[in-house]
Amino acid sequence: MNTPRYQGKSQAPYFWVLFFSGTLSVSGCASTETSVVDANASAPVVSPADPYENFNRSMYGFNMGLDKYLLKPVADGYTYITPDVMKTGVTNFFNNLKGINVVLNDLLQGKFGQSASDLGRFTTNTTIGLGGLFDVATPLGMQQNVEDFGQTMAVWGVDQGPYLVLPILGPTTVRDGSGTILDRAANPGTYVMGTGIVEGINERANAESALNFIDEAALDPYVFTRESFLQYRENLVNDGKTDADSFDLDIDEALNEDDEPVSSSAPIATTDPQKKKLENNPADEVSDSADKSLELAADNTTIEAFDNMSKSFDEALIEFEQASEKMDKISKRHHRHKHY
Amino acid sequence: MVRKIYLSLSFLVLFLTTSFALAEEISAKQVVESFQGQLIEVMKAGKELGFQGRYDKLDQAVKNSHDLPKIARIVVGKQWETLTAEQQAKLETVFTQLSVSAYAHNFKDFSGESFTFVSEEETGRGGVVIHTNLNIPGEKAIKFDYMMKKKDDSWQIINIIADGVSDLALKRSDYTSVLNRDGFDALITKINEKIESYAKQ
Repeated sequence: MNTPRYQGKSQAPYFWVLFFSGTLSVSGCASTETSVVDANASAPVVSPADPYENFNRSMYGFNMGLDKYLLKPVADGYTYITPDVMKTGVTNFFNNLKGINVVLNDLLQGKFGQSASDLGRFTTNTTIGLGGLFDVATPLGMQQNVEDFGQTMAVWGVDQGPYLVLPILGPTTVRDGSGTILDRAANPGTYVMGTGIVEGINERANAESALNFIDEAALDPYVFTRESFLQYRENLVNDGKTDADSFDLDIDEALNEDDEPVSSSAPIATTDPQKKKLENNPADEVSDSADKSLELAADNTTIEAFDNMSKSFDEALIEFEQASEKMDKISKRHHRHKHY
Repeated sequence: MVRKIYLSLSFLVLFLTTSFALAEEISAKQVVESFQGQLIEVMKAGKELGFQGRYDKLDQAVKNSHDLPKIARIVVGKQWETLTAEQQAKLETVFTQLSVSAYAHNFKDFSGESFTFVSEEETGRGGVVIHTNLNIPGEKAIKFDYMMKKKDDSWQIINIIADGVSDLALKRSDYTSVLNRDGFDALITKINEKIESYAKQ
């Protein structure tokens, strides 16, 4: 057993920076994942939280490709030319812009004490901290809290919904994804052209050590990312309060989970209410069995649609690689020409 | 007066029994604290020791405080029963090696970190959770919760939950996924690759 995320020295915004916001670039790292393309071939165990795993896996592969050939080089360049002080400033600035959203969601979740502290934090950093470039509030005892609309919806009882990996935006769930849209609306930075790009590059640069950690620790980076994302979000929703007995259950479940095998055929059919809502299944007056088969059919079409989409993303990934190979060749030729 | 005698007597009895019990076994909290102490020690000497040095120092510490055979069993979930005895033994060996390597790799240097004990909590099924904080200068403390189970009269770590993320649950998803997609041999190969890459840096 080792500790996820702790890298010895202060490679600070460890793991979680990765997942901090919906804008966060990409969930991938330049690892060698072999099973991306042939994901469709085998029918693996389906996690109930991730019914669209095939689609998500190819999207993950696509994002990793995008990261390897575009985002990582850009972020590395940014890290190389930007002094640390300035990078911290940029991070602080964008964090501060989220402050309004944090206060709003504190209030929506009924956390009035925390909202006062977060409002104080926002005003302090915006004024004394020169528009948010300096984080003067933390040393004054006003810790940064992470609140967003995804968490508010969870507090209000909205189901998590299926896990999704979006192109460029990375891991999310149906609930968090819709929350992100509101988060963006409540963030003044969104309304200024080009800030999204700067923020994205900065966040990708900050996520470097987290991505390296996944690369080092994960046997299956896709699953590792998914599980840590879902657990991290859950922990935020619960504000870090854990129930000791839930750990117990976790272990017992693992040791004797002999009933109901989690095979690929079963869990897709047993739709949770969230999915029903999504698909608007008008199956109320139909008998039970017909109901089931209808759901199954609806599910299959959704999954098929996702699979088709995933195929086009796989193709895009292959094109990426081919393009990069060509670029390599061209640059080599160019070099040779220079020499002669 | 009589009540006072009763009271002091019962205190005496209580004191005797608890001290008796304490003398016999090391508490869950002590297991965690002693392990964390060894970690910090290794971190402080991290650079001079190098990977192999840290590995050697942590080998016994990790094995003594963690119930690695049980953890190895849990991370493959239901599949454990489908493995042959030989495969089970193999998995246990490489998993132990990986766990120690991961510690040796991740805790490689020291910049003022410390662990502090926060609280202790009993779970419904005879387990204990030790809540601790890892304090890093200039950063927000990370919560480390150790889930402890009793094994042959001694407490051992069975899971570590860092800021709400359960290491065991994470590993279980990761390992069962590889096992289901690519099979047992691929799992062992991948674990061995990880061990190698940890040792390199």
